[in-house]
Amino acid sequence: MPADFDFEFRSLFSQPKERPEEAGGGAPSTLKARLYSALVRSQQESGPLASLDATVASGHEICVFEKLVQIAPVAERLKSPFFCEVCHARVLAEKLDNPPIFWPHCPYVEFKKS
Amino acid sequence: MIVIDRSTRAFLPAGELGRNDDYEGKVHSELMELRVQVSMGSEASPADEQRLVAEVLAKDRKATADFVGRCSDWVYSFVRYRLTPRTEMVEDLTQETLLAAWQSLPNFRGDGNLRSWVLGIARHKVEEHYRRSIREMESPEPGSAAELAETPMLEQQLDSAMRQERVEATLALLPEAYGLALLWRYRDGKSAREMAELTGKTEKAIERLLARARENFRRRWNDAR
Repeated sequence: MPADFDFEFRSLFSQPKERPEEAGGGAPSTLKARLYSALVRSQQESGPLASLDATVASGHEICVFEKLVQIAPVAERLKSPFFCEVCHARVLAEKLDNPPIFWPHCPYVEFKKS
Repeated sequence: MIVIDRSTRAFLPAGELGRNDDYEGKVHSELMELRVQVSMGSEASPADEQRLVAEVLAKDRKATADFVGRCSDWVYSFVRYRLTPRTEMVEDLTQETLLAAWQSLPNFRGDGNLRSWVLGIARHKVEEHYRRSIREMESPEPGSAAELAETPMLEQQLDSAMRQERVEATLALLPEAYGLALLWRYRDGKSAREMAELTGKTEKAIERLLARARENFRRRWNDAR
């Protein structure tokens, strides 16, 4: 038989809590942006990322800067780096909750919307 | 939306409450996890999820963004829910979980859905955080806390919302290991024996830790009146 204080504390801690979505439960966009950058950097450590051509072929949209890289007349291997690394959208999104970036199909803009 | 909460205990006869509390605590914890699973995120089909996983493993950057966008919402909500009010570690644990999930992605078989799989990793990370914090806590000297008079009955007359707010405010003032020990024991329904096994301490040491944590909680609760 549990002691009275166990019952007392269990009762005290058993209040129904707000649901996660009521608490604005989603991850902050800055966290998503940092996580995304960290994961892609980690992916690069074991070899090149999938090419932008492969990404488009899978049905994904790419941003205007990636589009420029995709059509550039350079070797395929030069099209695989993580170009967001040098984009100001990444820097802003990792630091600001509502960064002033608006162009379509940029993952950092998508994080802001979600 | 499935909503099941502990208000159902009101339907149990008073004598049953005590006997069922450990079991009830565990069920409550699992139901809360189910609630997070059911209430958050999109309803992707298993085929969509398998495709997403395959693309992430192929290092597709857009699929990786999709993976981060979905999983971080699930994990953040879950971790925040489990750690409230001690939320200072939520972002770190979310990050650890996502990195661990990505590293284990080749093992994702698609038997269950991606959300359950990722939340399984998150649960492990949260428990590891509980274990680490409690393990690092110096065990109170025998006799110093276990024999403290456990003066019963904190103020029970507050309405539910006020009480919840005050519980969280009081917990936030406690040393971290005390707060986590109370959450683990009373919100998640872990027994002192299970806590001892998971932290490598003796059951007696855990009981002393809990006694000290309760005493500390009571004092701060009463100070705030």
